[in-house]
Amino acid sequence: MNRRAWIERGDALLRRVGLRAGPDPAARPAPATNVARPAPGAEPLGSPTPPELSVDFLIELFRNPLDAGYSDAAAGRARSGPPGRSARRTGFTLRTITLIATGALLAIAYQQTVAAQPEAAKTRHSLAQDVQQRQAETDAQQKQAEQLRQQAASLRDAIVGPNSTALDQIEARAGVGAVTGDGVTVTLASGPAPTDPVTGKAQGTDQGHIVDFDLQVISNELWRDGAEAIAINGQRLIATSTIRAAGNAILVDLAPLSEPYTIQAIGPSSMADALRKSSVGGFYNYLATSYGVKFAVQSTNGLRLAGAADPGLRYATPATPSQSASPKPAPTGPRPHASGSIAPTSPPSQPAHASPPPGGP
Amino acid sequence: MFAVLAMIVGIVLGVIFEPTVPVALQPYLPIAVVAALDAVFGGIRATLDGIFDDKQFVISFVSNVLVAALIVYLGDQLGVGGQLSTGVVVVLGVRIFGNVAAIRRHLFRA
Repeated sequence: MNRRAWIERGDALLRRVGLRAGPDPAARPAPATNVARPAPGAEPLGSPTPPELSVDFLIELFRNPLDAGYSDAAAGRARSGPPGRSARRTGFTLRTITLIATGALLAIAYQQTVAAQPEAAKTRHSLAQDVQQRQAETDAQQKQAEQLRQQAASLRDAIVGPNSTALDQIEARAGVGAVTGDGVTVTLASGPAPTDPVTGKAQGTDQGHIVDFDLQVISNELWRDGAEAIAINGQRLIATSTIRAAGNAILVDLAPLSEPYTIQAIGPSSMADALRKSSVGGFYNYLATSYGVKFAVQSTNGLRLAGAADPGLRYATPATPSQSASPKPAPTGPRPHASGSIAPTSPPSQPAHASPPPGGP
Repeated sequence: MFAVLAMIVGIVLGVIFEPTVPVALQPYLPIAVVAALDAVFGGIRATLDGIFDDKQFVISFVSNVLVAALIVYLGDQLGVGGQLSTGVVVVLGVRIFGNVAAIRRHLFRA
């Protein structure tokens, strides 16, 4: 073919796909059967391309998303006339059945998607909600318990009369009664966990994480510096208090604590300085500078520490005055030494030598 | 319109009976849904164009669903299940959007 014919074929192709405007002068007159009746607002996009100038699949896909079968069927109808009644009825039935099947398919697919949600995520979510709800209930009940305790204390004071102050003093000392006074507030918070700068994931051991040991050590140091009442995040420490870790949480008695940890202690005004200058204070200052741990010691006035719940005594019974004398040496039998080893059956005045005296430097 | 009613009846039936899908067919359900939607939108556009044909609609529905599921099944056997599934969804999605665009032109211009 000569060059002009090639150019004309190219132009015709570009016109058909709408990349060039204007009517196609060299095209065959479009057969009347291709489109049954012009749809309102129809553009060349709706008409199929003639077979001798096929375009590639993607252009066809984007330009003619409608099945060619519809226009062919319309052409057939235009040729042979409208369908008869039985044909229309079967058509209607088939169409209805297909639409019912489509609706059922949608419903089934939705149900299957809902059912396929991972069981673990659902269980975890419901467990988390459970925990939060129980936590809220516990908090409310603790508040109520505190109120009732105060009511009981005031009622008891009314009944006991002049001895009530002595009882209050004993309760305050034991940690069961609320106390006020001046003291120190220590704030502790974990430092950021070390992360890989490239991936952002946790990397290495987290040296700046606050564990129960830290709270124990600081409480011990405060007792040593003269504190008379200590509370961690509002939980008062009493004679039977524990500071322990359960999993990732730190618990005081049975209450889980969350960061930041606030240790309040009522005691002499020298406590803050003593803590800062002690080895414990030095150690936590070092953690603060090296691992980003938050450690702040501040003298605070007018602290009020609530009383802890009275756990009650189940195994220890209060001793009567005759039993409270200093322990007499047992007449026979071994007496346990402070070191825990079994003492020989010699009289307690002789020291027990379990091993030869250490020699040499 | 009977068409909308029929679809609603289908949805209600599906919800009421809650048929359990056999485990083997479960992965092909989403692709079947997309293929069915393509046939439905094609039918709606053909209706608005005035060239709707029942036979063509039913055939396009059945063949779309079967061919899509077959292609994805073959892909699974050959190890390209995910990619073929993506390809099928893309093509069907393009057709759906093309038909929806034509429907929109009909509805908001005519």
